Amino acid sequence: MARLISLTFALLFALPAAAASDVANILLPCDSRYQVLSPDGVQVAVRCKDHSLHVLSVPDGKELRVIPAEPRADTVAYSPEGLSMAIGFHDGNIEVASSKGSTVVKRWHASARPIEALRFFPDAKMLVAGPADSDAQVWEFAESPKLRATLPSDFGGIMDCAVSPDGKVLVVAGGDTVLHWYDTGTWQKTLENRDFLLDTFALAFTPDGKKVLVGGADARITVLDAATAKQVRQLPREAGSSVAVLDVFGDQQIAAIYFDDAGEKPPHELIWRLSDAKVMGRSDTAPTCEGVVGGKLWSCTVEGRTVRISQSE
Amino acid sequence: MTRRELLERCVVSGALVLTTSLSLPALAAEWNESEKKRKPTPYCELGPFYKREAPHTSTLWAPGDSGMPLALSGVVYGTRGEIVPDAKVEIWQADIDGHYDIDGYRFRALLSPGPKGAYAIESIVPGHYPSRVCQHVHFLTTAPGHKPLITQMYFATDPVFEGNPDKNYTRDPLINSRDLVRPVMIKSDAQRSVAVVTFDLVMETV
Repeated sequence: MARLISLTFALLFALPAAAASDVANILLPCDSRYQVLSPDGVQVAVRCKDHSLHVLSVPDGKELRVIPAEPRADTVAYSPEGLSMAIGFHDGNIEVASSKGSTVVKRWHASARPIEALRFFPDAKMLVAGPADSDAQVWEFAESPKLRATLPSDFGGIMDCAVSPDGKVLVVAGGDTVLHWYDTGTWQKTLENRDFLLDTFALAFTPDGKKVLVGGADARITVLDAATAKQVRQLPREAGSSVAVLDVFGDQQIAAIYFDDAGEKPPHELIWRLSDAKVMGRSDTAPTCEGVVGGKLWSCTVEGRTVRISQSE
Repeated sequence: MTRRELLERCVVSGALVLTTSLSLPALAAEWNESEKKRKPTPYCELGPFYKREAPHTSTLWAPGDSGMPLALSGVVYGTRGEIVPDAKVEIWQADIDGHYDIDGYRFRALLSPGPKGAYAIESIVPGHYPSRVCQHVHFLTTAPGHKPLITQMYFATDPVFEGNPDKNYTRDPLINSRDLVRPVMIKSDAQRSVAVVTFDLVMETV
């Protein structure tokens, strides 16, 4: 997934900014088309074209930490409260650090393959790791890192995953186009959905945990019942594009970033209202990151060597 | 071949270490095994445009399609050099303009190579997908008892390589092995020219 997002953001051009209030304008330490915001809004991890990773504080842009290009950091994830940061490396290592002091808390070798996906559980004591073309792994790292489960797919590793707000259900989108439901108490697969012919790149639970939003190469957001894995509804297609990123914020609003399947136009963003499947807003400012901070949608846009972090009105 | 010669060849090939007490037939068998062994085909990313339930067809092009005709074929092997007879090979690629068919199944196929492990398709040389550096064809190969093989095949004639794929194959950051760049032979008759490429697929056992 990180690769897909990176590929998507690599296509970006600097476009006029959409209406939104500025949070910060930060000078980038490098040429970057892909950043990750911490959920508490106090940090941004900047992935550079040279494969180094720079962690900057928001809003002052102070550099807190630099991970050099070797070993290459392939993916970054923050814990839900923003206190921890996990980095997946190209050499198959995973590192968990305190995002406050940037102290490395744990580091372990998870796979012979690059780590391309990472997702924290709500309690920030476990995370899901997706090594390239390999089964998903669940690691518990409160003590010495321990592999709690491997979650097989038919092929292709994982594209994305989502944990229910109560931490009891994990949904994994495999490269095999299948969605797999797991009980996080037993790690048994409880449900699956094989209705998708194309891959899913983005998954998100609604805040009440009752629905799972699915976006991918079929150009639309599909709403599934979290309890049955069955389709509830589909939002209209955004023809010629794929859903790469999904965030739920505010009163059941969905922010979706779409990339152009033909690879010719920059990505764009649509804000959907879930209750009536209406588009509430569109942005063509080509966001380079997106996240929900304090219930509000934050996004980044890069203009030259400056990243503008803004909050949607 | 004398016993001594056989022994020397086995040692050179790495097939024999401290096994000088083996009989000639055993050594010959060892030698044959060593000769047959194959390196697994390198993994290369699935990409975002895989689509399940591709049609069973070996003809991916349709009348009126522009582009250089492509005859792509190969054999599915295991790493011991054995044929994998019950493999399924899924192939997908962009059209001449570099576009993938998301809504339908143009330039997508599912093949069952059968007991000889051989597959062959007729297609066109794909165009350049705008956000990728090189022209490529995607493969997903599955078979009972084997790890799924996901990879991509590249063309040595791709202008990106400037005639020197040995030196320039890393210009596409997704090409992690020179082995994935295949020579292209142009066969011509009075009516048309065809790019002929062979790409064997070597699967690892589970």
